[in-house]
Amino acid sequence: MEILKSIFYILVFPGALFTMVAGLWLAGVDRKVIAKMQKRIGPPILQPTYDFFKLMGKETIVPRVANRLVFLGAPVIGFISLAIIMLFIPIFGFTAFSGSADLIVILYLITISGVALIVGGSSSGSPYAGIGISREMVTMMSYELPFVIILLTVAKKVGGADLVFSMDAIGAWQRANGSLLFQWSMIPAALAMLLVIPAEVGVQPFDVAEAETEICEGPLIEYSGAALGVFKLNTAMKMIIMTGLFTSLFLGGFTTGIVALDVLIFVAICTVLTLLCMTTIHAVTARLKIEHLFRFYWTFVAGLAMASLILVWCGL
Amino acid sequence: MMQHFPVLAVMLLFLSAFIVEIFGAKSKAVAQGIAMIAATVSAGLIYALIKPVMIDGQIISYWMGNWAPVEEYAIGIGYEVDALSLFFALLVVTTFWLSGLYSIGYMNKDHHLGHYYTLYLMLSGSVLGLVMTGDIFNLFVMVEIMTFASVALTAFRNFSEGALEGAFKYLVIGSMGSSFTLTGIALLYAECHTLNMAQIASILAGGLSPTAIAAFGLIIAGFGVKSYMVPFHTPAADAYTVAPTSISMIFSGMVNKAGVYGMIRMIYIVFRAMDKGTVQQMLAIFGAVTMFLGVTMALAQHEFKRLLAFHSISQIGYVITAVSLGSALGLTGGLFHAMNHTLFKGLLFLTAGAVLKQVGTTNLDKLGGLSKRMPHTTICFLVGAGAISGLPPFNGFASKWIIYQAIYTKAVESGKFVYVLCTICALVVSVMTLASFIKVTQAVFFGQLRKEHENVTEAPFSMRLPMYIMALLCTASGVFYDFVNKYLLHPAANAALNISKYIDAMMGPGYAANARVSDMSVEPVAFSYWNPIIWLVLFGVLFIGAALVILGGRNERGQILSSSDPSQAKYDTFFSGEKEMYSQVGGSDLFWGFKSNWKGYYKFMEAIHSGIVNDYASMAVVGTAVICLCMFLFMR
Repeated sequence: MEILKSIFYILVFPGALFTMVAGLWLAGVDRKVIAKMQKRIGPPILQPTYDFFKLMGKETIVPRVANRLVFLGAPVIGFISLAIIMLFIPIFGFTAFSGSADLIVILYLITISGVALIVGGSSSGSPYAGIGISREMVTMMSYELPFVIILLTVAKKVGGADLVFSMDAIGAWQRANGSLLFQWSMIPAALAMLLVIPAEVGVQPFDVAEAETEICEGPLIEYSGAALGVFKLNTAMKMIIMTGLFTSLFLGGFTTGIVALDVLIFVAICTVLTLLCMTTIHAVTARLKIEHLFRFYWTFVAGLAMASLILVWCGL
Repeated sequence: MMQHFPVLAVMLLFLSAFIVEIFGAKSKAVAQGIAMIAATVSAGLIYALIKPVMIDGQIISYWMGNWAPVEEYAIGIGYEVDALSLFFALLVVTTFWLSGLYSIGYMNKDHHLGHYYTLYLMLSGSVLGLVMTGDIFNLFVMVEIMTFASVALTAFRNFSEGALEGAFKYLVIGSMGSSFTLTGIALLYAECHTLNMAQIASILAGGLSPTAIAAFGLIIAGFGVKSYMVPFHTPAADAYTVAPTSISMIFSGMVNKAGVYGMIRMIYIVFRAMDKGTVQQMLAIFGAVTMFLGVTMALAQHEFKRLLAFHSISQIGYVITAVSLGSALGLTGGLFHAMNHTLFKGLLFLTAGAVLKQVGTTNLDKLGGLSKRMPHTTICFLVGAGAISGLPPFNGFASKWIIYQAIYTKAVESGKFVYVLCTICALVVSVMTLASFIKVTQAVFFGQLRKEHENVTEAPFSMRLPMYIMALLCTASGVFYDFVNKYLLHPAANAALNISKYIDAMMGPGYAANARVSDMSVEPVAFSYWNPIIWLVLFGVLFIGAALVILGGRNERGQILSSSDPSQAKYDTFFSGEKEMYSQVGGSDLFWGFKSNWKGYYKFMEAIHSGIVNDYASMAVVGTAVICLCMFLFMR
């Protein structure tokens, strides 16, 4: 029974299937709204879904120089790590799996999906991928610092000493004291988190790693067919995971008591967040250079997060 | 019977060192045979102690020549194996056994193998003796043997560039470390009139006198040198790079663990200073600086083995920070990370050695595309890189995950902001570690294969076997961390925090109670971040998914699309018309987006790491002075 339940959690809800569907939905909404902002009609909302299934049916070419196992295994590893993350993110009252210190687990599982992209791209032997992975890695280093500080801030705010980094404790605190976003000392951290999300997902202006117009999608350049489809899916899944993480960290604490309704509200909040921090920023900005991106995150965003941490540390 | 095992294991190694020199000088096979037999038997003896010490909780004590204490004063040399000693002894025997196995394939082109194995056995015996002895002067003797065997082995390939230079730096800094330790021990002897660690611990339990504090500072600095803590890290980079790789693995797997062991033994048992805030903060800061400096230096390296050397420094920083916290959680995490570092860094050094042996260079700018030629080495490397970067499900994740919790718990409990900075540092260093391994992956194993490396072949099986074993251990200890915790970490941490048993086993029952030694009772650290069922399901999913994607690479007739046919242009990599040789991104040019923002820092680092041994020696002196000063100013 335990095993069946685990299988259901991993494969259907809130694991693979739910993340896929919700992620593709967010990606569709994102594209549609961006088109509207640019006075285009835009594709139907299901377009990313169609794209995914189309790619699944295409021929997958493995370049001659690539290590087959690594080249084809990388997207799958990324997919699995992302599907697992959703198990750790509570959807208001509902958590599929809670361990101690699961915030750190989430942090590293997100890293795995980035590493999968990097290693896969790297194994293709393309110089474009070489530039792409270098940028992807620097992007990762950039947002990691503010991200870490945000997590520490949240952990300190809710934390008793025995329960650091626990999503459960964060949920429980918010149920008792209201959402963290409404604590004024947490507002800089929330802003920083909103800026971390687009870099994590890789949308303009932080898409230096996959810059289509200059390095032909970087790490993805040699990918085709099913493997490319899985990578595209991973990007979509990251959207729901990052916005979902924001929701759990800063907007948790209320529940309707019905899981299905909670999930709907959760996805609705994630959609709003997507529009706020990805679509809008994407529509109004141009791509940064990688060194600017690094500086931006280590000074401005990290500074915002640090301000919050110091405020929280002073007991505010 | 059981109490003879530790001393037999050590003596066997030392005796075989001489036997190898006498009989093995002429024939490689004899030298290898003797060394491997000695290493295997010695490892077997230590493994046989797992059940009585780790599971039944016995402490094995042994007086050399049966010189038992007279009138409650220890006069003979005592061996004492508690769970902490055995934990490190297990790391040591595992490392030197695998290194010996690897040497068979790796060293077969070298001359004077008799000397090599003599030094190898001396080094193994000394570190094994170091972690099991109960006598502080014997500890120093072992440190000396270890240092000089290491120096000689660093210079073993003295025909290669930099070998003598590396050995010289090691000699100078290493001897300084030994002298600090010796001075500390002399002061301690003057203070306590005994050299037995158990007895010293019970004498010092009443409070630390100024002499004892000076001794403490000097001994910590001495072991800091042995574990390459910043600012004593300087000889590590050269030594690891120029030593034969089987020895680099021993350096990172057990020689710097000996330093860590010494620190833990001194802080937790001899001086009982782990609950003193000053010592904690000082060492936490030293640890954080060590991890940060190590990793940023690693990011700038152009040489595979040198990069790994700086990572060794960086990872030891994690261990020192975790151990310095003085909590059961921190100690558990630190010990776990020490063990994991032995495993994954050993593995990484072995892959570097395989590359060096098969290709002839470890310069990152001259390598590339080896994954097709050395697929097994590549997979082993990726496992090691994943483990050191702390990616789940490998062991590096489990230990770092405990360490983060331990540091941050400490921060919340003590309310000191410096621990928050340490946590941030630890987390960010982890991603930088990842970055520098991505760089190695791209520069060595992926990317384009160079023309001159067309004929490179996979490493021989005798070199791959230790890699497989280590890769397996890296994964297994990450997945079954509960098991590791229950049978290795908890007993070891418990032994470090409860010392009355340690004293009683050596000095007779009731001795500790008379000296009023305080114990800390510890619960097993309970931690869970996954339950095994979920992960079994996960691996099933992983398997199916991988199978699906791999099947996706077939054409309609079900054949795997062949990519070896050069006429099929679609399998080429896209170069947009550029010549392949002109279009590559050199491995060490990656991350300029990062480095250009850190120009000033790197300039400063370059100035510090001048390569002049005088500078390094003065850094070591300043470091020692700082440690001693901190202790004097704030501990009393």
